[in-house]
Amino acid sequence: MAAPIGTAMDSLSAALKSKIIPNQEYFLQGSILDSAVEVLLHRLRGLCDNVDTGPETFHDHEMCFSIRRGPPPELPLFLRVRRALDYPDMPWQLRYIGQPELGDKSQPTVVRSSLDIATSNTVVEFLTELGCRLDFEYIIRGYMFRKGRMKVTVSKIFKMNQGKLPDGMEPMSQSYLVELSVLAPSGQNAIAEDIRIFAEQLKPLVQLEKINYIR
Amino acid sequence: MGTGSLGRTWPAKNKWQIPGGYENGENINSQSLPIPNQKNGGQRTVHVLHNSEQPASVFAILEYGNKVVPLIADRLFDLVILKMTNVCTDKKQTKIECKGPRFELVDFCIKLGSVTMTQNFKGVLVEIEYRPSVVPANCWELIREFVQGFLGSAVSSQIPQYLQNRMNEIYQPMDTIHQYLEHFGQYRKSTGVI
Repeated sequence: MAAPIGTAMDSLSAALKSKIIPNQEYFLQGSILDSAVEVLLHRLRGLCDNVDTGPETFHDHEMCFSIRRGPPPELPLFLRVRRALDYPDMPWQLRYIGQPELGDKSQPTVVRSSLDIATSNTVVEFLTELGCRLDFEYIIRGYMFRKGRMKVTVSKIFKMNQGKLPDGMEPMSQSYLVELSVLAPSGQNAIAEDIRIFAEQLKPLVQLEKINYIR
Repeated sequence: MGTGSLGRTWPAKNKWQIPGGYENGENINSQSLPIPNQKNGGQRTVHVLHNSEQPASVFAILEYGNKVVPLIADRLFDLVILKMTNVCTDKKQTKIECKGPRFELVDFCIKLGSVTMTQNFKGVLVEIEYRPSVVPANCWELIREFVQGFLGSAVSSQIPQYLQNRMNEIYQPMDTIHQYLEHFGQYRKSTGVI
């Protein structure tokens, strides 16, 4: 007789134990003024992997939900839903984001636990019925570059205009958000150093830093 | 056994092709997580199901009164559910599993699953799939004849309740899950073996 069939949870906890699930996000953030963004894009085109095809563009709608797990001081659970406005047939993305850890000076990047999950388009209704509250939502449009395992995004955030999608979008600010991130299994701290080195190469165009969200 | 409606018969020796026997076994497991009453009242329940036929997916069904919201997600969704342990009350006794061999006979796929609820045997579920067709209306008669061929007239000729309004729609993995959940619900209510 062959080996018994393991349950779904068994295989998941085995995957967790052997650390093959990418559940840690290492990242740095910064911003650049609209007037200088072209220079940064040129610089990234030179530094990153996808030179021949050019940067990938994206145009997403992101909704940020939270659900209370208990009375304060218990922190709520933060969940984000993202869908591609330019590819409406693509799966929607559900993302769990943990509390960012700044660490001490020797830690080059911010680390937060993160789970990226592709889902069906019923996810918003599912979360709403579950009792999640929509905190805020926005439209994000920009470019994505790759450098090894690193993801570099240069994007602009727009306010949601009720009922007017996506025409007449109003930008949040006169600058672009620059994000350098890697999603990796826990314990791979070496990748943080790679991010720091890459961030150095973008200076002085953009200052990528560990941002303290609590302040 | 003859699959009469196909107008072909198969030699007795080739009756069942058993690829890998139990290794190809079916495994549906379901976990129900009731959510305590919230501000606006009403009991919500999240059913989380896995099907070995779609090993990379998690199927979640949220029940809230008469409303049912299905969700299909990647396997990592299980980890998000774990994070919600304070939101959902995880009752260990609500875990149901349906496990057993999977057979292939030409275009049919047959699964015999014994249903256990926390180690207690509750009964056997038989799943028959006619793989070339995705529209239930086109193959219901064929499936019915096939099942009655080996389980006899004890099998109801009635179209399962869940499929009745969906006979002309494209059949999706979620439809299988819904049908299992319906049966699991009946097992949950009963105390003995059915």
